[in-house]
Amino acid sequence: MSGTDAGPPDVDLGRVWLAVAAQVWRREPGWAERAARRLLRSPGLARALVTTPSLLLGWLIATAVVLAAGAVATLGTGTPYVPLLAPAVAAAGIAYAYGPGIDPAWELSRSMAVSDRMVLLVRALAVFGLNAALGLAASAASGVTAAVTFGWLVPMTAACALALAAATLAKSANVGVAVGLAGWVITVLSGNAAAGRLTTAVTDSALVLPYLAFAVCCGAIAAYATRITRGTS
Amino acid sequence: MNVELTDLTRRFGRTTAVSGVTLEAGPGVFGLLGPNGAGKTSLLRMMATVIPPTSGRLRLLGRDPGSYAPRREVRRKLGYLPQSLGYYPGFTVADFVEYFALLKDMPPGRVPAAVAAAIEQVGLGDRARAKLRTLSGGMLRRAGIAQAIVNDPDLLLLDEPTAGLDPEQRVAFRGLLREFGQRATVIVSTHLVEDVGAACTEVALMEQGRIVFHGTPAELTARGEGSGAAGDAPLERGYSAVLAAARSVPAARA
Repeated sequence: MSGTDAGPPDVDLGRVWLAVAAQVWRREPGWAERAARRLLRSPGLARALVTTPSLLLGWLIATAVVLAAGAVATLGTGTPYVPLLAPAVAAAGIAYAYGPGIDPAWELSRSMAVSDRMVLLVRALAVFGLNAALGLAASAASGVTAAVTFGWLVPMTAACALALAAATLAKSANVGVAVGLAGWVITVLSGNAAAGRLTTAVTDSALVLPYLAFAVCCGAIAAYATRITRGTS
Repeated sequence: MNVELTDLTRRFGRTTAVSGVTLEAGPGVFGLLGPNGAGKTSLLRMMATVIPPTSGRLRLLGRDPGSYAPRREVRRKLGYLPQSLGYYPGFTVADFVEYFALLKDMPPGRVPAAVAAAIEQVGLGDRARAKLRTLSGGMLRRAGIAQAIVNDPDLLLLDEPTAGLDPEQRVAFRGLLREFGQRATVIVSTHLVEDVGAACTEVALMEQGRIVFHGTPAELTARGEGSGAAGDAPLERGYSAVLAAARSVPAARA
């Protein structure tokens, strides 16, 4: 590609073309990526964040639809469905944030300077934050009491941590989703069996500490599963 | 030496994929030959810092990638093409290459020019804005090669890079390998003996996780002379002769 034959002798047309191509082919980052760049101070991490499978438009629409349906059901029946749905939806999103089979270029990403552990952490936090915001909006829209509106945030943390730990240990998003959902369903049904109310799992303040302790344990497991193995002797 | 492997072993459960490999490689094109399941991909994945060795010593670009900071430094100067390249179907070729340039921690200001140069080097300039889902297998492979070379790596690891390329593209690609081999260490895992003969300055042959031959392509060819080994080309006969010899002494391997 030197291309000097056809042009003036002192102009390297190959270099000129590359400079033009560099400008034409470059991708302008969207507002979310620009904000992430400023926040994370890493263009690579910001790009990895905006490619999170469970933050893509289709997934976000599905999440909003499920929570909106929960809000409508709450308004219709009086049973607060949003606090029961939100932890399950968020747990699925966390499990699908990063990993083999979910992220198409996962193998390649593991050889990159931006560590895949950091990518996982940033993606998981973003998915959690966005689900919390959507859940709070849906919960507030459904008109339930303030205690129930905020009460599910701690159980959601525990369910998300469980899904993350299972997904990283098993190296499978599907296992993460299955374990996270199963754990949350068992918790809700156990609360119902013990107190006769489906919402016990999100309204009983005595469960806050156990939820937090459980979340910390699961977080530690996820950190261990994604540790940087020294691997050389 | 850019690559120093000492008694490197990798096990997956009870299976030993790589067994006690000791190897050194400096600038040049290094071919890694062997039948399917010989351990080439596992060895390459360890050198790409994707998986850690079970035991042994691994030094890349003069650093021990076992700890975080040196590993990050190595990865900044590493290019890797995995055997099965995953891709984001909605990305364009340019998006894809740019994504990995950013993940390699390249200075953002240098990225657009590096992306354009890498895409042109693999001959995908006319498809730079095409979505990856619209590309043929050979074009996807070239997009994968473009992301591997975008950071002008000192260590380039390519797992079956010519799979899916047509003969013309393979010839052009071998030229690219030779060009990179002038200044960087290029390690190419392949089962295509002709790729090694045309592009490599050194070659190692793996069988059951071990290196059973290490030398130049000419030395490998010499092993086949008068051996009666199967093969259409002299290098293929050398390959077959070395493999046959390695397989005939299982006790020695154990």
